Amino acid sequence: MISKYPKKKLTRIFFQVVFLVVFFWLLIRTGAAATETFKYSDYFFYFDPLLLIINLFSTHTIINLFLLSLIPLALTMVFGRFFCGWVCPMGTIHHFFSWLFRRGEKKAEEVEHKLMKLKYVILTLILIMALFGTNIGGWLDPFSILTRSTSIAVSPSANYLIEETFKEGAEESGIIAKGLKPAYEFSKKNILPNKPRKYLQSVFIGIIFFLLIAANFYKRRFFCNYLCPLGALYGLFSRFSLLNLDVDKGSCKKCNVCSSDCTYNGSPYQDYMKSECMVCYNCEDSCPPDSINTKFRFPVKGSVNKIDLGRRRITGSLISGIFFASLPRIAGTSKSRTHNFERPPGSVSEVDFLDRCIRCGECMQACPTNFIQPALFEAGIDGLWTPILEPLTGYCEYECNRCTLVCPTNAIETLSLEDKKNFKIGIAVVVKDRCYTYADGYNCAVCEEHCPVPDKAIRFREVDVWNFEGKLVKVKQIYVVPDLCIGCGICENVCPRADAPGIVNSAEEEQREFDY
Amino acid sequence: MKRREFIKTSVAITATAGISGLPLLSSGGVDPVSKVTGESPYGITKKGVELIGGMKKFISKQDIVMIKPNIGWNRKVEHAANTNPEVLKAVIEMAFDAGAKKVIVMDNSCHKSEDTYRRSGIKEAVEKSGAEIRFSDENRLVVHPFNGEKLKKWPVFRDHLEVDKFINVPILKHHSSSGLTIGMKNLYGILGGRRGKLHRNMGENIADLANGFKTDLTIVDAYRILTKNGPVGGRLSDVELKKTVICSKNIFEADVVAVDLFGKNIDEIPFIDAGFRRGMGQKDISKINIKTFVI
Ligand code: SF4
Ligand code: SF4
Ligand code: SF4
Repeated sequence: MISKYPKKKLTRIFFQVVFLVVFFWLLIRTGAAATETFKYSDYFFYFDPLLLIINLFSTHTIINLFLLSLIPLALTMVFGRFFCGWVCPMGTIHHFFSWLFRRGEKKAEEVEHKLMKLKYVILTLILIMALFGTNIGGWLDPFSILTRSTSIAVSPSANYLIEETFKEGAEESGIIAKGLKPAYEFSKKNILPNKPRKYLQSVFIGIIFFLLIAANFYKRRFFCNYLCPLGALYGLFSRFSLLNLDVDKGSCKKCNVCSSDCTYNGSPYQDYMKSECMVCYNCEDSCPPDSINTKFRFPVKGSVNKIDLGRRRITGSLISGIFFASLPRIAGTSKSRTHNFERPPGSVSEVDFLDRCIRCGECMQACPTNFIQPALFEAGIDGLWTPILEPLTGYCEYECNRCTLVCPTNAIETLSLEDKKNFKIGIAVVVKDRCYTYADGYNCAVCEEHCPVPDKAIRFREVDVWNFEGKLVKVKQIYVVPDLCIGCGICENVCPRADAPGIVNSAEEEQREFDY
Repeated sequence: MKRREFIKTSVAITATAGISGLPLLSSGGVDPVSKVTGESPYGITKKGVELIGGMKKFISKQDIVMIKPNIGWNRKVEHAANTNPEVLKAVIEMAFDAGAKKVIVMDNSCHKSEDTYRRSGIKEAVEKSGAEIRFSDENRLVVHPFNGEKLKKWPVFRDHLEVDKFINVPILKHHSSSGLTIGMKNLYGILGGRRGKLHRNMGENIADLANGFKTDLTIVDAYRILTKNGPVGGRLSDVELKKTVICSKNIFEADVVAVDLFGKNIDEIPFIDAGFRRGMGQKDISKINIKTFVI
């Protein structure tokens, strides 16, 4: 058997690599503290029609840029699920690992018909939940998963490992560390942050990403074939696409070669599934007698082997979606009147925020000080992985508005630097039984020093205090001026008290809830 | 002698002297302090160093030189929160002219370091002058003995201990807890760890810090000074033009002259008193050998 030159397949791989590189370049550029803010970071998201629909359902508005996502959707009507096969960076990563796990062995694997329906159920659930006020699309949207996993787990982990390899003293022990030192220094200068990032959810998010990758052992592109709601959406549209795959039954030798490398684990020559085909050209390029050919033509009625979801499954997911959507709303934890977490500057009010945010983590990647962290259940169960601010790890840099520039859904609205400086994230509250100037009776005021507000939102007054030696002494006691404080959190971040800070940032007076 | 050994021995000598109650070795009046006023920050810096003997007096050929400016705050040069880049440019040039092999500029910023280095204008100025910009890297902390009265030891970035010469280039500013920040307080930037803890008994800690770490030259940038709301500032109305640079080998006396220039009383500043008690120099300004010059 003479293997043919896989022209189309190679072209596809070329495109996959290009889009993958563009995606990561944008993402890394967003997080590189060595550079100024990059305003195109969020552009990849605008080509995701799932997000367009979800956010239309949950917010009843459309961000104009998201109309760009109609382009791939329209192209799907022509080329089928080319997006999954040629463009999607999440897909490319899974494609790579599927290939890696099967190197050298070519064998037909079977389509998991039942599992395949799962992604359509997920899509239905997500959409119906969005319609009824609970937007959880970002948990499974491929761009969100990839951005979040990269920002929160993969890239900090890589950063950590790099620092461990090259840190002081390591070069004496390792040849690699020595030889690659210039590369390290270059990236330290241009990409890597001075202080490696830390995220409270790295373990959780990292393990989920790991499991998704590992699932490719079981089936090729497990995530894409069985879980991805965007894939499901494209699947619904690709049925009608003009590009069709025809098998010439006459010349086909039923050798099964095409089935041994099918991206959706199918057997194109016997039961081709158009909604699942990612137009990868593996089959066409490998068919020995050239019996498989793609052609542009209108799909013939009845010729399409479509997935039958079944009325019961659809009704079932619709009803459960409505029920699920209502649960977090009545749990009282989210979208409630009071809360004890803060959102990044520029965030819209909590109700709108949960409707808009797709949990992508762009803002967390953009924040140079590591202030923005993915929530666990602080913001309610449906607030999982939405951005909250954590003064233990960072603070809001006065001269920064990066997070407000990168949010694709305007959950964080764009603010000019001047507006950001006046945006009240919350305010600081002195904890009098902890702050040294109250509890122990000596001068400290580290927080006052760091307060970036030019008119000083933390000040002190001199009072007589009985100190820890039982003496009456004059102490400069700190206090917060609520009207000036913008809640940037640097005071809590730098408070030297080790057990728990003497001043805490709180959502009290946060502007977003009073900005009618 | 390596810097590190030198620091150890000098600390030991001071410590013994202190214990035995001998009058401390005082360099007061020995090292001159120059005070130059003029329009260009660059020009007055050059003149200031020239007046105290020129850079060659402090730097030998092939030296690796550390310059420690104040790059603490993400503010622009107009806000007078960080050392003036033009002053730095002059210092770097003089160091290279004196034969320095390598010049490093480094601080441990309070705000996000990458942004701070950039907005302060220091990154650009330093890179243009051919010196190396370096960030404080926590992996490089070593515990350094200061053997002071309050400050016994503290983690210091190795970079500062591994160079041949150390030039301290602070800016003169108001500082809410220590009164003023000048040369001695600027050395906070060599420290890592939970520096905020040192705010308790700050005056004593600053004096121990400056007494337990050898600096070869101090150049106080008082071109723009922050008169209120320091150290971070941010309000242009708190900034005043003094157009002056103060240089001396003696960090303590440079500070004393700077306090005077700022217009504060010496006794208002706890670290000056603490430094005097440690024998770091003269606190009576009339006993300091000041060379004033106006360009
Ligand atoms: S504006 Fe504040 S919260 Fe947003 S990225 Fe910058 S530092 Fe982080
Ligand atoms: S706030 Fe915006 S940028 Fe941040 S996770 Fe949500 S959608 Fe993404
Ligand atoms: S930094 Fe902490 S202990 Fe110090 S004054 Fe502020 S709140 Fe009090």
